[in-house]
Amino acid sequence: MDVRTIPHAEAPAGRRPGAAGWMLAAPMFAWLVVFVIAPTVILFVYSFCQRDEMGELVFSFSLENYARVFDSTYLYIFWRSIWYAALTTVLCIVIGYPVAYFIGRAREDNRNRLLMLVMVPFWTSFLIRTYAWITILKSEGLLNGMLQLVGVISAPLEILYTPLAVVIGLVYAYVPFMILPIYGSVEKLDNALIEAAFDLGAGPIRAFSKVIIPLTNPGIIAGTLLVFIPSIGMFAITDLMGGARVKMIGNVIQDQFTGQARDWPFGSALGITLLAMFAVAFWLTTRKQTDVPMG
Amino acid sequence: MKRMHIITALVCAVFITLGGNSFAAQSKTLNLFCWSEYIPQAVLDGFTKETGTKVNYETYGSNEEMLAKLLPSKGKYDLIVPSEYVVEALIKRNKLEPLDMSKIPNFKNIGSEFKGFPFDPENKYSVPYMTGSVGIVVNTEKVKDDIKGYKDVFQPKFKNRIVVLNDNREIVSWALSMAGIDINDVTPATIEKIKPILKEWLPLVKVYDSDSPKTALLNGDVDLGIVWGGEAAILYNQDKKFKYILPVEGAHRFIDCIAVPAGAPHPDAAMAFINYILRPEVSKLISEAFPYTNPNVAARELLSAAELANPASYPTGNPKLEIFRDIGKNATSVDKLMTDLKSH
Repeated sequence: MDVRTIPHAEAPAGRRPGAAGWMLAAPMFAWLVVFVIAPTVILFVYSFCQRDEMGELVFSFSLENYARVFDSTYLYIFWRSIWYAALTTVLCIVIGYPVAYFIGRAREDNRNRLLMLVMVPFWTSFLIRTYAWITILKSEGLLNGMLQLVGVISAPLEILYTPLAVVIGLVYAYVPFMILPIYGSVEKLDNALIEAAFDLGAGPIRAFSKVIIPLTNPGIIAGTLLVFIPSIGMFAITDLMGGARVKMIGNVIQDQFTGQARDWPFGSALGITLLAMFAVAFWLTTRKQTDVPMG
Repeated sequence: MKRMHIITALVCAVFITLGGNSFAAQSKTLNLFCWSEYIPQAVLDGFTKETGTKVNYETYGSNEEMLAKLLPSKGKYDLIVPSEYVVEALIKRNKLEPLDMSKIPNFKNIGSEFKGFPFDPENKYSVPYMTGSVGIVVNTEKVKDDIKGYKDVFQPKFKNRIVVLNDNREIVSWALSMAGIDINDVTPATIEKIKPILKEWLPLVKVYDSDSPKTALLNGDVDLGIVWGGEAAILYNQDKKFKYILPVEGAHRFIDCIAVPAGAPHPDAAMAFINYILRPEVSKLISEAFPYTNPNVAARELLSAAELANPASYPTGNPKLEIFRDIGKNATSVDKLMTDLKSH
């Protein structure tokens, strides 16, 4: 992600990968071909097929699936998924940035301990952590019980099975993916540059916005990609914490494959469309990244 | 009830294309593909102990999920547990193996009222596993009204207090009953007719959950539900305040059957297993764990009076119940309608 460190002009010829280098990279290429390229090609082919009454694939060319993707119903769901994912990403930045900054600036021997705290939740299954949130947020749950005990509220708050619960679930699930790349950038941040900013008369706000943010920008962008893309397609949280009331594009796609609709060609068309959107988004963000003036 | 399907779905989303034949054909194995939370481990262990046949047990959360995995994988599964309209669709397309009734003498334990349904009139391909109804559950501590049917559930005053199954065909069937249309008369015309009813109903719903609708009721997040009878029976066992009501407008009676998919690798083990679970004492174990309506009348005689008195397992009176038939490609219209209505 960190483009600054790559010297563009003079890559010496001797550093071109030799046969041994390719051999070392072969497992990765094999992995990419088997698990990324091949499934994508299959998805692409399926997206032009049709289904029979039983839901079995029929290989007859049709553009109908793509026409359906642009039906207002699904466009609206796309739009809502993007909006939820964007909100999640912004909240992850707001919550994750200070944490990452704090960890990155902590004493060196403390950093690993603090990072460990960020990772600890991954030791438990994602589904179990989601169920834990249900226990916390439900009407007769921990949060409502505590607030009522203290007397802050008189009637239980309705949080579970609302869009708010979905956003809480998404932010909770993805905030570590924002913290880690930002931490990576903060850790590399040169203190001398911040001191220089202060010496040259910048206040804390200007030093932050003109020096610290641009220098940690690669981390923010990496985090944004890591949070935004998976949260668009997430369907388990919307089902479990949102009560399956509000459909996201991930739910619609799941419905097409193993869910009730069982329309693989249409699901493939939705998947390919989503992939194209990600490709465009990725292109836009990385292009912007190289444009950012460094230093 | 069927939580596992989310995990399986997550895995599937990545490995859809890799659903190849992972089981090597061995003589002493049985590949069982069944709903989650539908068959006790003790029954599987008992079968293995008696016959030495290893049971590979895989689960699904809906008929559609089962079909999605069954159809592209010929010769993988030996036994499946489809519901009645899916049995019908599978028979129509030659996707089931005829049963060898000479190896299933315990079929005699099935009550006569559970034999010869129109989806498989001669029981050539299927044997009823468990049956039940879809009805209304009311938390009588919170809801004092006399709830009789769908009309009483979907009232504006119950907004955000209702859980329903996350199942499009089910939800549409309730609206059809409400409109006085046969629940199997699913056509673009009838769907158009019930659209206004659903438009009124769906915004009142707080949770859609087919896997474990009882959770929201137990947690106190909702006070009313339209759920599987078995779920209602479990609620009633935990707390008598949960009352089960079969809607006056009519309700769906589901018949989950056990069947052998075409090209099953171990048909003999499959027949032996069907015969095994039809034994009264084995079938009783299933009923005790999952209190649906057991079609095995010999097993019913072994159940306790309390189990038989559970109104959600064995409803009394003369409720209006009907099975689902295969509706072919009209299922797509059902799905389209529900996706549309849930999006706005």
